[in-house]
Formats: sequence, structure tokens, C-alpha cells
Amino acid sequence: MSETYELAVIGAGPAGMEAAIAASEAGVKTVIIDGLFREGGQYYRKPATAFTASRKEVVEKEGDLLSERLAGAPAAKIFNALTWGIFKEEESEGWLVGLYGPEAPKWVHTRTLILANGAYDTPVAFPGWTLPGVITSGAALILVKSQGVAPGQRALVTGSGPLLLSTAAHLIDAGVDVVGVCETTRLFPKGIVYAPIMLGQPRRMEEAMQYLSLLLRNQVPYRTGWSILEVHGHEHVEEALIARVDSKGVPLPGSLRTERVDTVVCGFGLTPNTGLARMMGCRMGYQPEKGGWVPLRDPMLQTSLPGVYMAGDGAGICGAENALLEGRLVGTAIALLTGHLSNQEAGKIIKRIGPELARQRRFGRVLGELFSPKPGWTSLAREETPLCRCEEVSLAEVKAAVANGARTLGEVKMVTRAGMGNCQGRMCERSVVGAIMQACLTEGASPDSVGMYSIRPPLHPLPMDFLAEAGLSNPPFKGS
Amino acid sequence: MRNKLSGSTLPEWQRSRSIQIQVDGKAIEAFEGETVAAALLASGIHTFRLSRKYQEPRGLYCGMGICYECLVTVNGTHAVQACLTPVAEGMQVETCREWEL
Repeated sequence: MSETYELAVIGAGPAGMEAAIAASEAGVKTVIIDGLFREGGQYYRKPATAFTASRKEVVEKEGDLLSERLAGAPAAKIFNALTWGIFKEEESEGWLVGLYGPEAPKWVHTRTLILANGAYDTPVAFPGWTLPGVITSGAALILVKSQGVAPGQRALVTGSGPLLLSTAAHLIDAGVDVVGVCETTRLFPKGIVYAPIMLGQPRRMEEAMQYLSLLLRNQVPYRTGWSILEVHGHEHVEEALIARVDSKGVPLPGSLRTERVDTVVCGFGLTPNTGLARMMGCRMGYQPEKGGWVPLRDPMLQTSLPGVYMAGDGAGICGAENALLEGRLVGTAIALLTGHLSNQEAGKIIKRIGPELARQRRFGRVLGELFSPKPGWTSLAREETPLCRCEEVSLAEVKAAVANGARTLGEVKMVTRAGMGNCQGRMCERSVVGAIMQACLTEGASPDSVGMYSIRPPLHPLPMDFLAEAGLSNPPFKGS
Repeated sequence: MRNKLSGSTLPEWQRSRSIQIQVDGKAIEAFEGETVAAALLASGIHTFRLSRKYQEPRGLYCGMGICYECLVTVNGTHAVQACLTPVAEGMQVETCREWEL
């Protein structure tokens, strides 16, 4: 029913894997937990085990090596298990992790925690964004790379950031007719300022150049300063309207174009998956260049809660290389904390990681600033456009709530039900914040004043009978 | 690549065993290791459910278990995430079934 560890790592992507390897190899009794069937996360997501592809990309080879190292490390592994809640244990100073999965224990006790929950595509609401055929970059990449399934026949790729190039290239590889890539950021002249730092990342630049040349060879236009406006269709995407946008992402009149497509792939950058951290009460700060609300961490990546650490994109978007390094750092920090490494031993490892970590963070900051979310993204929705997909709450309803006095996300949620659905507000938080801020511009509303959705267990919808049984076998709510 | 797009330059996939799943009473081909979502899309099924309030079509969106748009009924269990659930021989999938949460 329950198991006890010194360290539980939640999330088995680049950061979580490195953390579990570093800690367990130093002697920390470690468990690593993930909702997917195997390790890798989204970045190193592998083809389903039953498949073999005859060619492997560099990233896949890297992922295989990391997988081998994790397999060889003395950490326990629990896959296919959703972490639905983490609770403070009254007596033991530790934490109780609630799991839901066919082969998972219901509870894991742990003294320390590393949250490495990764990120998801930043949702941007525009008219037609709920139609089948509108998918995220992540969805497109998973379908092509891990499932070998093309999402459609003719696709438009839209959004912002380097992931768009990778997405378009993979779709072209899969035989999808990509009609164009709309990058909402105007790369010139702003991008030139950042060029020297970009050039310091030869591997990434080479990858980007490969994708660009594939686009060029296939005569796929890469339009910078263009955005999706709306998508039309009855049961499914039939056409997409795109337009030129200004530097704030606001559409410019007179530049409208219609593309006949069956698929619209949206990659508006990434948002850190901070649900567990918020549920546990880690202090957060708003940093747009890192993807929005991120946990406040000390130099060893400890959050405001003692013994709770966070690493990788889930703590602020900075890319996979940074995630690997943060994972190693945080695994070492836990080994030091639990007495498995001496100050001197840990210091040596940390010193080795330092310079490269600093370099990755500089690069991450540049990308974050260059491709940061544009104010115009929140102005794409029309009055009737649903901002909250789960509860089907439109922009007009959010505005009405604000007109009636609501000023925070929590108040708008109470009045409209936005953010109360299955996704716990992950899909609508940014749009609703944008709508509130726009509606009370003159009052000087800020992300801090509007706030966050409060996240409560269970983080994922669970069957009631499971919850009842899990609660009875080891009630975490005692005394609370 | 499934969907048999002619221009695909990806390496040929060695797929595992071909199996059959039932979708709304009709048999479709799937492969072991595929997710329900991939199998549905490869068979041209894009609407997975209808939204509760306005009965509008919804399908795969985030593809990674975050958005809960791809919920289908699997072997009688409601609200199963198609993007995370692997197919199995003889699986009964129902799309657009109404349920109370």
C-alpha cells in the first residue's frame, strides 16, 4: 500500500532523470515517479516500446543514453502513475505522495522531494481554437515522433519560438503539406541584439539551420511578424485566417490571408507545470521570460518549503540542457542534505556544473525575452470565444464578471466557473488573467494583483471509489 | 507514417502486432503500443467528445495529458484520456458519450 524513501522525484524528463541518477548513485534511497509509461518526459519521448524506427535523431540517442544510466542507477521507478496530491506528514517531517496508477502504490512517504514536472504549450485562445484539428506543438510532435501518425494532410504552424521550426520540420518529414509557419515575433531588428549569444550555442544553431533549410527546400514560407487570427470549420478545421501583427502581436489591418488547411498547430511558447508546487504552497513569483508564475528558489534550487526542490522547465522555461544540469545539481543537493555526500564532495560536483549552468541560463533568458508572450495574444479572442475550454466560459462572461466587481482570478472563478474544470485552469489561466487586466487597465492591474488559480487535490480527476479507498487506507487529511 | 501520406521521408516504422479495437461499434485497425488518440486520428476520427454545455465537437488538443479534451469512454469507463491510454486487443471505445461527472 505504501513505501518509504529519502527522496521522491516527481517527473522523469531530463531534469528528473538526472536528479534521480545523481541522488541514488550517491546513496540516497530514491524513487522516481512519472505519469507516462516510461522515462524520457516530452523532450526524450520515445517511440512506443513495441515500435522500432530505423533512423534515430541525435536527441533520441541522447535520450537512450540517459535511459540506460537511469536503468543502471539504484533508484526505484514507478511509471504510469499520476501524482494527484502531496501532503505534509504531521509526525515525521516528511511528505506523503498520493499516486494513482494500475501498478503504483497508493502512497509514497518521503523525507525530501524534487518536483520536475516540465512544461506544456502555452494555450492561446482565438476564435475556433476548440475545433478538432487545432492542436499544440507538443501534440503534433508526440504524434509524429512517438506514434508515427500524421495529424492531418495540410497544416498551418503558428505561435512563437524555436519549437515552431522543429514542429514544422517534423510535419514535413511526416509528409504533411505545411502551408506556412507564422512566427508572431518580429525577429528583426530585435533579434540582432541577441545574435552573439545565439552564436555561442553552435549545436542549437545548427539544428535551427537544418530545420530552416528543410522549410526552404519544401518552399514553406516562414513568416515572421504574422499570427493566426481565427479558424473556421463545422465539425473540423477547414480554413485558417492569418494576418501580419505589430510588435505587440496585435493584428494589422489589410494583411489578411486565408489558408485552406485541416490542421492548425499552435506553439506559443511553454508554460511551466507548477500545479503540485502551488498545491503544496511553494512561494511563487511572476517572471514572464520564464513562462509566467515560477517557484522562488534558492541557489541550490530549494523552494520556500524546506526539503522541497524544483528543477528543469517546470521551475521556469530554460530548455533541456539547463534541465539536465539543474537535475544533477538538485540531486547532489539532496545527497548533501541527507548526509550521503560531504560538503567537500558535493562542492566539487556543484563547482563543475556551475559555469555551464550559467551559460545555459543566459541563453534561456535571451530566448525567453525574444519570444516572450505578446500582449496581443490575449486580444485574439472575441466576445463569444471560450477562454475556459472545460467549463465553456467566454471572454464576454469574464468581462461581465469584472464589470460586476471581480478583480482577481479567484473571484472570476467563483462567479463564472472558469478554471473549475478537469484541467484545473491550466488551459485558461493566462487568457483569463489577460482579459481581467485588459478590462481594468486604468486601475493598474498586474499579474500580482490578479493572482493565480488555487490548485487543490486531486490534481487530476480520479474515480470516487479510488479516492475513498486511498483515504481510508492512510488518511492524509487527519487534523487538517 | 500512418495516414499514408505520400511525401513522407521518415524511416519506415516497424510496427508491432496489428490489432482490432471497436470504436462506436465499428472495428478499426490499431497497433500495439499506439495510444487510443493516435489510433482514432489514423482512422480519420477527429471528434472525441462533445462539450458539456454547448455540445460542440472536441478532439485532441495538448496530446500530453494536460487539457482533458480528448476524453472518451473505454470499456465502459467514462472520461478516459485518449492521449495517454494505450490500445489493447478488443478494446471498446466510445466517442461523444454523455456522462455525469
